[in-house]
Amino acid sequence: MLQQTSTDRDWQLAVIRLVGIVGIVGIGAAGCGRQSDDIPADVLPESLVAEAARTKPFTTPADRLLEDFEPPALDALDRDAKWIDRPVLDGLELMRSQQKDEPLLATVEEALAIKNDAAPANAKILSALGQLPAPHQANLEARIDRHVVGDLGSTNPIMISTSAEFDILGLTGFGLFSFDSRLEPFATADTVASWQSSTDGMLDKVVLRDDLVWSDGRPITAHDIAFTFQVIMDPRVPVPAVRSGTDQLRWVHAYDDQTVVFFHKEALATNVWNINFPVLPKHVYERTWEADPTLKDSTIHVQLEQSPVSGGPYEIVERKRGQQIVLKRRSSWTTVRGKQVREDPFFKEIRFRIIEDPNTSLLALKAGEIDEMMLLPEQWTTQTTGDDFYERSTKVTAPEWVSFHFGWNIDTPFFADRRVRRAMSYAFEHDRMLEELCYGLYTPAAGNFHETSWMAPKKKLVPAKQDLDKAEALLDEAGWVDHDNDGVRDKEVNGRLVPFEFSILVNQQPLRVAICTLLQQNLEQVGVRLNVRPMESTVLQQLTQERKFEAYFGGWGAGTDPDTSENIWATGAGRNFTSYSNPEVDRLFAEGRRELDREKRAEKYARIQEILYEDQPYTWLYWRNSFYGFSKDLRGYVFSPRGPYHYSPGFSSLWMPQAE
Amino acid sequence: MPERVSHGFWFAAWRRYRRKPLAMAALVFVCFLIGVAILAPAIAGTKPVLCRYKGQIYAPCLSYFDRRLEPAIFVKDRFRGTYPQNLREKDPESWAIWPLVFQDPYRAVRDNEWPGRPANPTKDEGHPNRFNLFGTDQYGVDVLAKMVHGTTVALAVGFVSMGLAGTIGIVVGALGGYFGGWIDMLLSRVTEVVMCIPTLVLILALVAFVDKPTIWKTMAIIGATGWTGIARLARGEFLRLRSSEFVLAARSAGAGPLRIMLRHILPNALAPVLVPITFGIASAILTESALSFLGFGSPPPSASWGALLNDARSNLSMWWLVAFPGIAIFLTVLAYNLIGEGLQEATDPRLRESRK
Repeated sequence: MLQQTSTDRDWQLAVIRLVGIVGIVGIGAAGCGRQSDDIPADVLPESLVAEAARTKPFTTPADRLLEDFEPPALDALDRDAKWIDRPVLDGLELMRSQQKDEPLLATVEEALAIKNDAAPANAKILSALGQLPAPHQANLEARIDRHVVGDLGSTNPIMISTSAEFDILGLTGFGLFSFDSRLEPFATADTVASWQSSTDGMLDKVVLRDDLVWSDGRPITAHDIAFTFQVIMDPRVPVPAVRSGTDQLRWVHAYDDQTVVFFHKEALATNVWNINFPVLPKHVYERTWEADPTLKDSTIHVQLEQSPVSGGPYEIVERKRGQQIVLKRRSSWTTVRGKQVREDPFFKEIRFRIIEDPNTSLLALKAGEIDEMMLLPEQWTTQTTGDDFYERSTKVTAPEWVSFHFGWNIDTPFFADRRVRRAMSYAFEHDRMLEELCYGLYTPAAGNFHETSWMAPKKKLVPAKQDLDKAEALLDEAGWVDHDNDGVRDKEVNGRLVPFEFSILVNQQPLRVAICTLLQQNLEQVGVRLNVRPMESTVLQQLTQERKFEAYFGGWGAGTDPDTSENIWATGAGRNFTSYSNPEVDRLFAEGRRELDREKRAEKYARIQEILYEDQPYTWLYWRNSFYGFSKDLRGYVFSPRGPYHYSPGFSSLWMPQAE
Repeated sequence: MPERVSHGFWFAAWRRYRRKPLAMAALVFVCFLIGVAILAPAIAGTKPVLCRYKGQIYAPCLSYFDRRLEPAIFVKDRFRGTYPQNLREKDPESWAIWPLVFQDPYRAVRDNEWPGRPANPTKDEGHPNRFNLFGTDQYGVDVLAKMVHGTTVALAVGFVSMGLAGTIGIVVGALGGYFGGWIDMLLSRVTEVVMCIPTLVLILALVAFVDKPTIWKTMAIIGATGWTGIARLARGEFLRLRSSEFVLAARSAGAGPLRIMLRHILPNALAPVLVPITFGIASAILTESALSFLGFGSPPPSASWGALLNDARSNLSMWWLVAFPGIAIFLTVLAYNLIGEGLQEATDPRLRESRK
């Protein structure tokens, strides 16, 4: 992706958080696009994210997130620390070199002629149309019409929290770091001259390139980065997402215009993600920040919201609320002081069309009004198979690390016992869900890490097959027996006979309701009553956040680092909605974060997954793969576990060929 | 000269009503729906209407009305909701009377659940066929079974909510119209306030906050907000009739206000009030369908006509999901409107005069 997407760690986190919280709710977030067809837009209440962010332990009082810090002089640092060089790469070059080794499975003409009806066809299309352009092959004057499902909440880089914001800030924001399709982090060559870490893991030193300017002509310097850190850590600023992770930093100091050093609190494996946050122009916000710490209420901030100062390859030239956002390539990105210093991004203009209804957007794709969109499984199977679709478009699928589950609230009399949770998993007809309800398009999930990820256990975990006898035996064992002969199991809790009847909260999306209804049938068969309660996403968010539920249907997007899921599983953590608590898991997460050796880290996370599998605080359901429809004019789409856009190069590898 | 039999008002109205073929057809149709609603588990279902099992007679089909009515023995004996084979295997002596159509409104029928019957088609392949006369939805649930069981909801919504609205409306209108003065003033203002409450928004809010949103609560809200028109009409009638001679006569004979209102005015005021109630039933059915269509209707697995339309929204090529429930809603609403119109014409003397 263009440099900018490089602030990914954050965006990353933002996104994770989103997919996380939002996933529960049925709004796919960045990297997952939207999956619900009845939710207006990806809107995440700030309070919720702030809450999630707060769950990271602070060492300072709540009203002050930062303790004063006197950074040592640079020569002293250089004298004391032992530096090792870290990779500074160009995402596009990286992809080019990766593609060189891959066999080409089909020519472009072949790929455009076939229909994507099976895995081989999908592989051919991905291979042929995923190629980067040869020199002068791309049409640099091209315009792409992208699809977004909801309007932006904010154009301020540090205020991002939804997928649409993530998409646009990926193009207009300035950042130092990124990661490739295998989620390996690096500094981006477009903005960084060198990146070094100290061997003790406590320092990161970055030297910026000296040919960077904001869209208003002022240079981008290390001071902007140090300044942004202060703003993000100002408790008065309502930062929805990017504070978590950033708060693990001790300090950020700019020694001169180019050199910035990140001081860590601890040597953590996740530090490489923590130093990655979006950057504000200091000269713009320096004075206005104090006057209006909300960064959005004062007149000047309202103006900035409308036309923000861009640090990335594109700038916003038009913003029509609820309709479209138009970005133009900015010449001051590529040409500085009369010299071309960076390659031109492949599109001259990017138009984001805001279309909420998935049926409408599919029609727009078929009519050529938009060039790409994420497809729902139902659309993939039944509405994109005919010639009307293939006339202008084609489609591809790839695995994506977004998983869905039933969460069992361990704080209720029903699910305190592990045997009951396992009984739920044995009662559920997992196969039928995958085949009949999910159209056989999703990968079965049995744990929180994707089976192809480095942190997954060596021995593959598989979801429980339906076994009603076993489920009934487990329920009997746990003391849930039909004592009063009314057809429903019950158990004496605190001297009262409690029937096994509970509710599951679910977003109104039809597929999810259907999955819960299947669970209802299955449980009915073993004498357990389930009430399915579809509800609006915001209500669902609130209820799960407040732990006011017995069970819920939700989902999480995987982060770039397994540590990001700590706040789902650690005792008392913010997103630990099911109130799961296991000291061993807590310990393994803490150790995993401090373990710098990849192999040993992987073992710890694999162990966590095995423990979770035994405990079944969730019944894991499926990994939702990516399904995308693309215009036949588009080339260069390559998928990562986070979808086709949210990594480096991601979206910036897309291009259109010159007209013949 | 033969003696002229003097018929009562209602008898005369019924005679006039009977002469209107459309209104009569509508009435027959509604009666048919009532029949379908009551007999729903016997028309479509997967549980026996009656069966003999281990020496006892059971009616498992009643569990479609309330799942608590499922005999516990079938849960104990691990029938797991599938009766045909289990009955035979677990008690060869058993017999059962089955519903007309072996299809379930809440789940897809599996392969060979009923000997020789294939599994219901899923995805978009559920065209109407021999086993699924109205087709199946995306998840393989039979549309006919859903519609048959949905009749209960459609009818109950109309009757319950308008029964409630009628009661509130008549009471409020009667009090205001009869007593006048500040009572009338107060009640009229209350009516106007309630008139301003948007029913749909109120229901959406309720769904969000109530722990177990049921169809009954929805009905209660439709009823509790839909009485204003009835109240105004009732008030007008009471206002008119309270100064009539027969009321004066009753009062001079010493009748109390309650007696006058109930015995003397109400029967005479009822006819014009019945008309908006009938129309109200039609609009309540539409409201419920609209709610289900938006996904806020009765909790799943619901068999509501509106919910079927909602399923169709995601794939319009599955025409049977639109056509059948759409026709059912259309016909039912039309029937109620025809009944309302027939009632109006049969009871309004002025309309009668103008026809002559």
